[in-house]
Amino acid sequence: MIKAEQNKRNPLRILEKSKKGEIGKGNIGVIAARKGVGKTACLVHIATDELFDNKHVIHVSFSADTNHIISWYEDIFEEIAKKFNIKSVMDIHDEIVKNRIIMNFNQDGVKITQISSSIKSLIKDGNFSADTIVIDGFDFNKCTIDDIKTIHSLAEELGLEIWISASLKDENLVFDKNGVPLLLIEFVNEIATLIYMRPENDYIRLQLIKDQDIYPVSDLHLKLDPRSLLIVEAS
Amino acid sequence: MQDKISIIRNIGISAHIDSGKTTLTERILFYCKKIHAIHEVKDKDGKGATMDSMDLERERGITIASAATNVDWKDHSINIIDTPGHVDFTIEVERALRVLDGAILVLCAVGGVQSQSITVDRQLKRYKVPRIAFINKCDRTGANPYKVTKQLREKLGLNAVLLQIPIGLEDKLQGLVDLITLKAVYFDGENGENIRIEEIPSELRAEAEAKHKDLLDAVTMVSDELAEAYLEGNVTEELIHKAIQKATQSLQLVPVAIGSAYKNKGVQVLLDLVIKYLPDPTGVTNIALDLDNNETEIKLISEKDKPTVALAFKLEDGQYGQLSYIRIYQGSLKKGDELYNSRAKKKFKVGRLIRMHADKMEDIASARCGDIVAVFGIDCASGDTFTHPSLNYSMTTMHVPEPVISLAIAPKDLKSSDNMGKALNRFTKEDPTFKTYTDEESGERIISGMGELHLDVYIERMKREYDVIVETGMPQVAYREAITKEVAFDYTHKKQTGGAGQFARIAGKIEPDQEELFTFVNNIKGGVIPTEYIPACEKGFHDCLKKGRLIGFPIVGVKVTLDDGDFHSVDSSSMAFQIAATSAFWQIYSKANPQILEPIMKVVVEGPSEFQGNVFGSINQRRGIIISTTEDDIVCRVEAEVPLSEMFGYSTDLRSMTQGKYEFTMEFLKYSKVPESIAEKIKKEIEEKKKKK
Repeated sequence: MIKAEQNKRNPLRILEKSKKGEIGKGNIGVIAARKGVGKTACLVHIATDELFDNKHVIHVSFSADTNHIISWYEDIFEEIAKKFNIKSVMDIHDEIVKNRIIMNFNQDGVKITQISSSIKSLIKDGNFSADTIVIDGFDFNKCTIDDIKTIHSLAEELGLEIWISASLKDENLVFDKNGVPLLLIEFVNEIATLIYMRPENDYIRLQLIKDQDIYPVSDLHLKLDPRSLLIVEAS
Repeated sequence: MQDKISIIRNIGISAHIDSGKTTLTERILFYCKKIHAIHEVKDKDGKGATMDSMDLERERGITIASAATNVDWKDHSINIIDTPGHVDFTIEVERALRVLDGAILVLCAVGGVQSQSITVDRQLKRYKVPRIAFINKCDRTGANPYKVTKQLREKLGLNAVLLQIPIGLEDKLQGLVDLITLKAVYFDGENGENIRIEEIPSELRAEAEAKHKDLLDAVTMVSDELAEAYLEGNVTEELIHKAIQKATQSLQLVPVAIGSAYKNKGVQVLLDLVIKYLPDPTGVTNIALDLDNNETEIKLISEKDKPTVALAFKLEDGQYGQLSYIRIYQGSLKKGDELYNSRAKKKFKVGRLIRMHADKMEDIASARCGDIVAVFGIDCASGDTFTHPSLNYSMTTMHVPEPVISLAIAPKDLKSSDNMGKALNRFTKEDPTFKTYTDEESGERIISGMGELHLDVYIERMKREYDVIVETGMPQVAYREAITKEVAFDYTHKKQTGGAGQFARIAGKIEPDQEELFTFVNNIKGGVIPTEYIPACEKGFHDCLKKGRLIGFPIVGVKVTLDDGDFHSVDSSSMAFQIAATSAFWQIYSKANPQILEPIMKVVVEGPSEFQGNVFGSINQRRGIIISTTEDDIVCRVEAEVPLSEMFGYSTDLRSMTQGKYEFTMEFLKYSKVPESIAEKIKKEIEEKKKKK
């Protein structure tokens, strides 16, 4: 019931309009936006959606304080509970967070290869069968194409989906003819799905820029409530 | 010198094990002329630091680890209160935190903010203790005080501001630059006792000036007065100190000092900061509860002429009987004064009044508010409040967690048997989380506490301090039972065979309660059960909770609602209703689907990244759930929730699987339902244990 309700309003519904309806195992999806638009909340929604589906999620972050990330999940849960008036949602929360592990890295000191090997070690030694990895706060300015290739091979090798957020600064708000932000042009071949988020008046607009190997010509987008990041209306 | 309250500082030195707390304390005692030579703590890899400092204390005949040591520094009187290092002793740490007004948070310049630094800092935050951070061991390879300051900001969320920068680092550490005075400070002489102030070395000048500006930027953010002076170009050293003092005491800022206690660098400067920035006893608000007035909160006043209020925070067995350490919050205390113990409801006379120094005790005639002293020969427990006989106050009650683990112990010989009672009696008085009782069924003596190490330390202390050798059984986890379903009851207790009859009928429901251990709701209307029998009904149900019938452990989280019943004008009695309640409960207990709960511990494992796979595996094997991992280029920290029953022997396993490079801390988190398969195993084990008896 909760799953069905949550799914109906999840930002990921934008992918229903895409070719596969998902990014697909072994692939990378990127959510790009300026700072403060709601990338983390969007990733937490994606993770929460997977958790509701009894799937296992690794949340990779680059902030030193894990409590901050945990409270994101609590907030999204509370929003969902309020939105759908579900009283028992926190009980479910306690049950399903067991399927979520937060991995925190210092991006200045840790190489992508080390992150990749730590994730593999957690999955293998920690016997944690992850289905999806969300990577938040990743700095595309500091990474190389080899780093993204390493992440892509991790997704392929382990057969899981990886979502990454990309923070765009003002100077990056230049797009190529397909709508790909300048910052990501170098890496776009490794990315299966690219979504761009931008604030518009009283809602957040979610736009599908790249869908597998094509750039959709028609304007595929969703409007999200800026607070809960749940769908306001589909169009 | 003791007349003015403004010269008193009551401070604690809180630290992660091995960050050099003992060495720092030793140096403080030396520079304050309390000891006359410096002895080093031996390399203590693989041993517990608590024991090491005890050993050191014993060997040297001084009281480094005594509850409170008084030293003088530049016309100030500093009471240093010992705060034990390990989380298993949380209650002791927290009790010590209550009596101190400020703290030095010691960090290792290599290890930085480690798991225990986080625990200790959380406790300091809870009691709103202003603190100065001291980044020690700057002489070690890999030392990086800048990285540690960044961690203080990022990991602990503190507004940490560096007051000094090192002149040289690692084995080239020579001294430090004071970023307020912009002078270089060197520590000459065999033991660094001669301070030499010089100009900043030219190669450090630019960096020092930049950091000086950073410092001013940070402090002006929390001080309007300094910000104004800054804009007007009128910044003085005095203004900076004043602003830092105010911001430190209002917990807006944490000044960071650096040095190496081992290499005798930076300790005297740190002591200067203690008297400059940490509050005197008047700078802290202390509250007591008025027991005669519905526990109304009373703000205590640091004036020596007010009626006395003091707290016993630590007990020690001395040569002349029990020594009780007390902090005086209000009024004063003289030899021969009469005081009232509000818990024991007993008056007593103050005999010997003592001030503790590192190497001796000093008999004193009086002490006043703000001070920490010790009294001899008073029968009290740790945490007791002493007041003037005209008051009936208790210092705010602290939450005392229930023990989560127990162990059967038996004395090995007659001598041990004689002394064991004495030792246990003292330990339970000292530490409310350490309990002891005799199991009614087996007749065994049981000790219980907050973790395996907690109990190990008391067994060791029995041996060392009382010459008591005991044999121990297997550790037993403190399971609980809880009902999971709502069930209605309607029970009649009737007995009419000979003598006076018994009659009582009760009806209602029992249901799970997540919030409270036990709730009783009386919904009886129209006097179907007379009011005088209601407490007996409540008692009947409450008594059942002591021992569940699933595995014989206490039952928690039960709400009983009583909404109907019947009585007989002659045959009903309180006894009859109590029996009815007890019988009703057991009749429906199994229908309420009781389940076993087990204590879940929050476990933090920390060490070099190379072994993290083994650590993940070890947590997984122990039914643990990894909550998060944090990794930088050197250290990996894993936070997990693991059932206590699976944690026995973990320290040995962890050592062997990580070549001794990992360490872990563990504290009680919550009770959780045991998975079905494990519950069956527990039931079988307990059955077998019973049969053996």
